Order: sequence, then structure tokens, then C-alpha cells
Amino acid sequence: MGDGREITPGAVGWRKNLSRLQAVGIDAALITMLILMGELLVVAFSGRRGDTGLLLSAEQILDLLHYAWALFAGLGLALVWNLFYRLLGASPGRALVSGVPEWERDLEWTHTLRGWFVAVFIELTFFAGWLITELQLVTFLTKFGKAADIVRGLMHPSSSVLHEGLVLLVQTIFLAFMATAFAIPVAFVLAFPSARNLTRGSAVARLAYIVSRTLMNFVRAVEPLVWALIFITWVGIGPFAGVLALWVHSVAALTKLYSEQIESIDTGPMDAITATGASTLQVLRYGVVPQVIPPFLSFTIYRWDINVRMSTIIGFVGGGGIGYILKPRVDLGEWGEVGTLVLLIAGTVWMMDIISAKIRERIV
Amino acid sequence: MSADLAVRTEDLGMVYPGGVRALSGVDLEVREGEFLAILGLSGSGKSTLLRCMNRLIDPTEGRVWIFGEEITAASGGSLRRLRRQVAMIFQQFNLVRRQTVLTNVLSGALGRSRLLPSLVLSFAQSERERAVASLGRVGLDDRAGSRADALSGGQQQRVAVARALMQEPRLILADEPVASLDPALRHSVMRHIEALNREEGLTVICSLHDIDLVERYATRLVALRDGKVAWGGRPEEFDRDTFREIYGEEAEPTSNSGF
Ligand SMILES: Nc1ncnc2c1ncn2[C@@H]1O[C@H](COP(=O)(O)OP(=O)(O)OP(=O)(O)O)[C@@H](O)[C@H]1O
Ligand SMILES: [Mg+2]
Repeated sequence: MGDGREITPGAVGWRKNLSRLQAVGIDAALITMLILMGELLVVAFSGRRGDTGLLLSAEQILDLLHYAWALFAGLGLALVWNLFYRLLGASPGRALVSGVPEWERDLEWTHTLRGWFVAVFIELTFFAGWLITELQLVTFLTKFGKAADIVRGLMHPSSSVLHEGLVLLVQTIFLAFMATAFAIPVAFVLAFPSARNLTRGSAVARLAYIVSRTLMNFVRAVEPLVWALIFITWVGIGPFAGVLALWVHSVAALTKLYSEQIESIDTGPMDAITATGASTLQVLRYGVVPQVIPPFLSFTIYRWDINVRMSTIIGFVGGGGIGYILKPRVDLGEWGEVGTLVLLIAGTVWMMDIISAKIRERIV
Repeated sequence: MSADLAVRTEDLGMVYPGGVRALSGVDLEVREGEFLAILGLSGSGKSTLLRCMNRLIDPTEGRVWIFGEEITAASGGSLRRLRRQVAMIFQQFNLVRRQTVLTNVLSGALGRSRLLPSLVLSFAQSERERAVASLGRVGLDDRAGSRADALSGGQQQRVAVARALMQEPRLILADEPVASLDPALRHSVMRHIEALNREEGLTVICSLHDIDLVERYATRLVALRDGKVAWGGRPEEFDRDTFREIYGEEAEPTSNSGF
């Protein structure tokens, strides 16, 4: 059988060293975090007070920790653990990278150092998380009074904004529609170079794959809210900025969904069309497109649905639609009017949900 | 080289990216008008060999000529021109399931169609008539408007034969065309392929699992083992003993379930 399968001894040594390095790296990170969390708890419970005489806040404590020392100690301990792994048992990093060794497989977690390490680590994560996010159970349970006003307002919607709300609701739906509709052709074109299975052929195709994937990942990573702020400064406050923000985000989201769909197609028809002597475009048109159109439609309708929801939030910062009038009423505490608007939004989202589910059922 | 060779391979070899060697040193000459059967156990390289012939995969070693032109040296337009002469039939039919039977058959004409009209599924009237006629030859002209996946397996494979016919090829590569069909339906498809060979004079290279089918349809047989040609000759000369010699005592030739 193939000689290409054999791995030279040199390559083995190289791989082994790499995985050792990975194991030490992972261990160092874990031990460092453990040390830091320990220090955090010690400082928090020491009752130390800041300059103002108040107990230290979580941010202040985080600012005080000895990061460099912890990292130094973490690295050292990780090295020791990995060097004497026969004595101490496999470290978490080693177990992750090269698997749990044979002789430790049947041991209970309480019988290995690694088991205790992981247990303490998880425990500390919860304690530290509690402190860092400043969870206050007592406040949560006793100070409901103020929030009750809001709930009461929401339960008694006032009719004064009904008219304006309905008008802007229409704007919201169309805003979402335009953003989705304009996103379809762009995403459709970008989906093909973003599909792994279509871009193995040549160096150019692989480059196109990398470029479009990177670009789309970046665009998707930026929240629609941030896009809205960008477009508001570009084209001014109003629904157009909202359309643009949702459009950019939808292009990225749809490209990903479309290209994943393309990656999961049956390649048989593509082979068959290629074999007739058809050109690349014809192969895409006959071998790929018919397979992906129904799922594409279904994704797109779902996207419209999502965009309606998102456009309310976009409206908060000035992107038009119903969110635009919701924001000042929240600020002024007009809970009755807020209630009306929230009900309008909820009703629309609910209806969109039902309609889009029905349509998607029909298509697939 | 002599002009009446449909296919010639020279020292053909294929190593897949993972390092699996699927073919090595295959030298074949297929004359025009032959019905060549390729026999071999699962994994012996039958599909790989056929797919190297029309370059659905690129062989890593050796060369292939189609009707005297070297397809392993062709690219772009000249590769597509060569492919137009070579129709392919697949074990899994490979029809576009959501499209109509007629569109599937018409796609056989893509190699000679103008690009832009073909992208909007628009074909010349003469091509449409030819597609209906091709469907008529496999007895399915009444199903032209059905969706491909509404047909039974045997019918789908006949549509694939009609698509191959639509291509007006000189050579047909068939990769286990009846392996996923009911034994009772196998002959209905094989007979259509045979007709193309006998009546139209097309060259057929067909991989098969089944010795009975080889004896019934092929004019020549090549047996593959581990990616190499292990035996070549007339189907009648290939008896059970030869079979055991090539594939070992374990393998048993059967007539309908493959081996
Ligand atoms: N895409 C691929 N990547 C890697 N290895 C492959 C690939 N396709 C086939 N192989 C390997 O190449 C060898 C030959 O496969 P091939 O499909 O040509 O055999 P076959 O004779 O057609 O078998 P079958 O009767 O199962 O269709 C097998 O070992 C197979 O695992
Ligand atoms: Mg095969």
C-alpha cells in the first residue's frame, strides 16, 4: 500500500515535542487561573477596604492581583507536573492532548491529582464568578418593589401611542424586509466561493475561499448595533441607516448559512453534469443550485423574521422603526406607553414566527 | 498509435490525498465498438479507473488518451470538448432530484449548448425534441414532466441512460450501473446500454459486480485486484477457478448479490 502513509521517525519526534509543549501550555494556563482565582477569594474575604473606606469592588480586586507572579508560578508548576507525570499522574493538559494514560483509566477521580485539581478548579470558578459579576441574591429577592411599577405599566398599556406605534411597526417590517431582500443576491454570490467543497480545485479558488470566509466572519462578529451606529453617522438617523445595518449583518449571516448548505449537497449530480462536458457555471447552475434553492428560501424567511426582532433594538440607537419611539419612553418611565409598544412588537414577532414556520414547512 | 482506439491508458496510477493507493500501472487499450467489462471486488479501483478516464479525478501517474487525444494533457475548453464524447452512467444515477425528467435529460446537451441560454434552462426546440426521443428509447417519454425523484430506481437509471444518449457520445463509461437495482430490473437497464453498443456502435466500458452480467453482455473482460489489472480476456474464459485464483478462496462468485 501507499508509501505516502509512512511517517518518518523525525516527524514523530517533532509531533511528540509539539504535543508536550501544548500540554505544558494548557497546564500553565489552568494553574495560573487557579492561583489567580485563589488570590481573588483571599483578597475578597480579607475584608480589605479601599481609599474611600468601602469594601473593594470586584474591579478593584481584579486590578490588585499579581498576574506576573501567578503566571510565573503557573509555568513552573506546569513544568514540574509534566516532568514528574509518572509520580504525580497525568496533568490535565497531558490528558487533553494525548489522552488519559492506560494505567489511570480505571481510577476514580478522587484517586488522582488531576481529579482533585479539576474539582477545585470548577469550585473556584463558581466562587470567583459570583464575586466578579457581583451577584447579590438578597437584593434580587427583596427589592422587587420598583420593578413592579414597570410590570404594572406593561399590564396597563395606554392607547396614546397606539397610532404612532402601528405606523412605525409597518416601517419596522418593511425595514427588515428591505434589508433581507437586498442581502439575498449578495449572499447568494458570496456563498459559492465560501463553500469548502467548491473551492478545492485551484489556488485562486482557495484564495477566494479564505478571503470571503475571513471577511464574512469579521462582519458577523461586529454586532448589528455597532453597524447601526456606523451607518447613522454615515447616512444620518432614520430607517435607511437601520436597513443598511441589518443588510450588512444579514449578508454575512446568510452567506454562512447558504455556504454551509452548499457544503452539504450531494456531489453526485455535480459529477454527472461535469462529465457531460459542461462548464463550471453550468455545473453550478444544474448540479448545485437546484439542490440548495429550497433550503436557501427557508433560511431567508427565517432571517427576515430575525431582522424584524433586531430592528427594534436598532431603532433604540436611531435606526428607525418602532424601537425609535420606544427608547425615550423607557427613559421617561412612561411604562403604559412602553407596554403598548412592547405588546405591538411581541404580537408582530409572534405572527412572523407562525407565518415563517408555515412557509418553511411548505418548502422543505 | 492506431486510430481506432477509444481509450488507451499508459502506466495509470492514482494515490488519493490521504495516501491510499487506488490504482497502479494500469495499461489498457479499448477498441472502438467494444463492450469492456471491468470486474473487481469492492475497493479494487473500478470507480477510480473510470473516473480517471474522463478526468472526474486527476490521476497522479500515467496518461490517458480518448480517441487518440491525450485527455490527461487537456484543460479548460479542450478538456470539456473531450468530455463531450464520453458519457457517464453512475451507480447512484446522479440525477438532479428536484428537477424534471426532461431537464435532466436536456442537461446531457450542456456541453454543446450556448452558455447564457443554458443558465436560464432555455434549450433549442431541436434539443427538446431530441430529449423526448431519447426518453422514448428508454420507454419513459410519458414521464418527461415528472420530478426525477418521483421515479423508481430502475426508471431513474433509464433516465440517466437517456441523458447519456442525449450527449451523443462515442464512449460510455458505466460505473456499476445496476448494482443498486433490484436483480429483476437489472436486465432492463443493461439491455438499453447493450443496445447503444450494438445498434449505435458506441464503445462501452462498464464496471460490474456480477459474473453472469459480464458473460451476458461484455465482449471483453478485465479483472482488477488492488488497483492492478490481474486478468484480461474473453468473458467465456473467465471461470470459477480463474476467479478463485485471482480473488482467493474466501471470495465466492455469485449471480445476483455481488461478492
Ligand atoms: N475520495 C477518496 N479518497 C481517498 N480514498 C479513496 C477515495 N475514493 C476511493 N478511495 C480508495 O481507493 C480505493 C479504490 O476505490 P474505488 O472506489 O475505486 O473502488 P471500487 O472498485 O469502485 O469499489 P466499489 O466496488 O466499492 O465501488 C479504495 O481503497 C478506496 O478506499
Ligand atoms: Mg465504485
